[in-house]
Amino acid sequence: MNTFADRFSTTGALAELRKAQKAADEEEFSDAMWGSEAGFGSLAKGVPTFSVPNIPDPTAFLRLHTDDHADPTCKIKISHGTTTLAFRFQGGVIVAVDSRATAGSYVASGTVKKVIEINPYLLGTMAGGAADCQYWETYLGMHCRLHELRNRERISVSAASKYLSNLVYSYKGMGLSMGTMICGWDKTGPAVFYVDSDGTRLKGDLFSVGSGSTFAYGVLDQGYRWDLTDEEAQELGRRSIYAAGHRDAFSGNTCNLYHVKEDGWKFIGNYDISKMHYDGPGNVLGATGGGYGYELRVEGLSSANPPVAAQA
Amino acid sequence: MPDMVPMSVAQPQERQFNPYSDNGGTILAVAGANFSVIAGDTRQSEGYSIQTRYAPKVFRLTDKAVLAVNGFAADGNMFVKKVKQRLEWYRHAHSKDMPLRAVARLIQSMLYARRFFPYYVYNILGGIEEDGSGAVYSFDPVGSYEREACRAAGAASSLVQPFLDNQIYFKNQTPAPGTSHPAHLALTDVLALVIDSFTSATERHIEVGDGLEMYVVLAKGSPLQGLELVQGVQEMSTTTDGERVFIVRRNLKRD
Amino acid sequence: MASSSVYSSPGFDFSNQLRNNFLSEKGLPLPKATSTGTTIVGCLFEDGIVLGADTRATEGPIVADKNCEKIHYISESIRCCGAGTAADTEFTTALISSNIELHALHTGRKPRVVTAMTMLKQMLFQYQGHIGAALVLGGVDATGPNLFTIHPHGSTDKLPYVTMGSGSLAAMAVFESSWRPNMSRDEALTLVKHAISAGIFNDLGSGSNVDACIITATHTEMLRNVEMPNQRVEKEKKYGFRRGTTAWKRETVKSLIVEEEITHVLGEAMDTT
Repeated sequence: MNTFADRFSTTGALAELRKAQKAADEEEFSDAMWGSEAGFGSLAKGVPTFSVPNIPDPTAFLRLHTDDHADPTCKIKISHGTTTLAFRFQGGVIVAVDSRATAGSYVASGTVKKVIEINPYLLGTMAGGAADCQYWETYLGMHCRLHELRNRERISVSAASKYLSNLVYSYKGMGLSMGTMICGWDKTGPAVFYVDSDGTRLKGDLFSVGSGSTFAYGVLDQGYRWDLTDEEAQELGRRSIYAAGHRDAFSGNTCNLYHVKEDGWKFIGNYDISKMHYDGPGNVLGATGGGYGYELRVEGLSSANPPVAAQA
Repeated sequence: MPDMVPMSVAQPQERQFNPYSDNGGTILAVAGANFSVIAGDTRQSEGYSIQTRYAPKVFRLTDKAVLAVNGFAADGNMFVKKVKQRLEWYRHAHSKDMPLRAVARLIQSMLYARRFFPYYVYNILGGIEEDGSGAVYSFDPVGSYEREACRAAGAASSLVQPFLDNQIYFKNQTPAPGTSHPAHLALTDVLALVIDSFTSATERHIEVGDGLEMYVVLAKGSPLQGLELVQGVQEMSTTTDGERVFIVRRNLKRD
Repeated sequence: MASSSVYSSPGFDFSNQLRNNFLSEKGLPLPKATSTGTTIVGCLFEDGIVLGADTRATEGPIVADKNCEKIHYISESIRCCGAGTAADTEFTTALISSNIELHALHTGRKPRVVTAMTMLKQMLFQYQGHIGAALVLGGVDATGPNLFTIHPHGSTDKLPYVTMGSGSLAAMAVFESSWRPNMSRDEALTLVKHAISAGIFNDLGSGSNVDACIITATHTEMLRNVEMPNQRVEKEKKYGFRRGTTAWKRETVKSLIVEEEITHVLGEAMDTT
């Protein structure tokens, strides 16, 4: 939509873009760029500015060049395809993600860190645009620190997630793509919030985001209880990501597992998904031993190799 | 006749703003224990035509950081220019070179500042970290980044990356019983792999060829590790008592 | 004949066209055909024709064949260079070659180049450009040396020196600067080598080696890989893999030797005379 009214309105996404463009034109180099603040600039001035093409409909321009669903041949590929999950239970929060980044049918990377360590008490997950999640969750981390300095206490998960939600909502319609879970432990105990670039923000016990989420939910829902032990919960997270990595072509490679407790998050481990299929996750807490999939399918339990009794 | 409309604007016209094109070529970088190698071919093309046989895609930023840029050449050259400018300002403000991980974060924020008007460039940053280890950071066009051991980008990335996965990460290779794969390769082995990657990409990808430039960054106090025996090696560093940067050039097929 | 017949009619089969159009409208790209993004040339000299071609075949930006043959046989003293969709040039020239042979047998005369040219252009025009063949046709017949280009839609040119394919501009530049009437055989061959080399080095769609073919009234000489300016250099490393590199889950060894015992039922062998 690119009407006359749109072009001269003072509210809405296009007007925001024009403002950003104007701000960028007026001050291309800020003082902050000279010193060590180089990257994000001075937070006192608020949100950093973005340069925008000087055309009537910049959003359509961005979509034309980056949206790989509309045009698979477009030049700027933004990676999609993911499985991430997080759930709350008696022992804290489990966060588990895969590590694959795809651009069309090409596996662009198999070693992506999709858990963003915002600070020692907060984790964010990455689904959708990798750069959007990385950048805005880093930015969120800076604001969480400012909150600590101003209020002499840590920010609640609720407040942090709302900060992010409000931030991405202000860019609504401009093409950001994020589906993230903000996980942590605050005064209220373990907490998980789902935030996405449409502006949705949900509080809940259990979420999974990404193209492989349906597969992960399948395993997660049948194994989830509030009173899971730490070991059982970690195994459930691992097993769910394995299921998604196995069945979803756009998820896979490895699984990264985090556990958030009262004293902050802890990285539990990195598990190869094909290794989990054949040999299992190795000698780790909660693992039942053996592979998750291979033996089940070939050792006398599948149609290709039926049980001995059935053969007779 | 003030109300006469010229013919050219009488009809509604549709135009698309398309400031991007693809100039082909391939870049790659490999991190070793105390060195890193950053390489790129020198062909710049558009469609079926060669614009130039020598257009560098790899640039020395500081004595410990080298940046390879691939994609749309005009965006790439402008981006490198701006990164160099910011690094010089940093040098004036702090009387030292920016550490590699900070350069990586700087590149992220510079790319993300154009989130709504992206640079069409794939960046690979190679160099030495403050702890003396070799490092490679790879970026997407809007700034998401990751530290890795090796990465290929550009036109022939899908030909070169699987080769690197097999030869550097030893993917799909079971070690002999009782042994394990080495965590890091020797510099001479890495250079051989890089040369073979580019000669092979030249064989099978029409946009790769003409010349090859390989930058080698050595950690502070590191021995030359056989680099002195490589033919045509040239030193590019400003001092010999810090990290050192070398360049090795090779010809590639020109067809 | 009803279109639902199980018997296929001769010629092209269009039964998947509706489905494929639907799929491409839905955004599914059709599989890419191998194309010979090519440099092909031909030129006249004092006693015949020299044809030339590079040897690269591409699929998009990927080199599909580093040493393919683009100078196709039509008859003993007529040859045809093909650019465009590889399968189309190959089958079109093969079909015309076959028809020319039948025509020669029917008439009891040596075939003429114009005959081949007419058959090609009529076929290409009939298919309205859907057969993506761009050809350089040359040969010597009863009327003397003849050289033609045939475009995918069926138009033709008769010229003393011609180029086609993605490298045609590079090659034509060489011809325009150096071609002269009544050149000697060696001069013409050198010129063709230069023209193809210009395509090989300046056009990304062309590459690898030079093929040439010299046709005179008495003799046709096919010079395959007459120049090889793009040999691969030796690799820096050897890439051998240790036995047992590939992981395996189960090992089964089957004996392929079948032992058979033959018992003669009757005392004497069967008479097989």
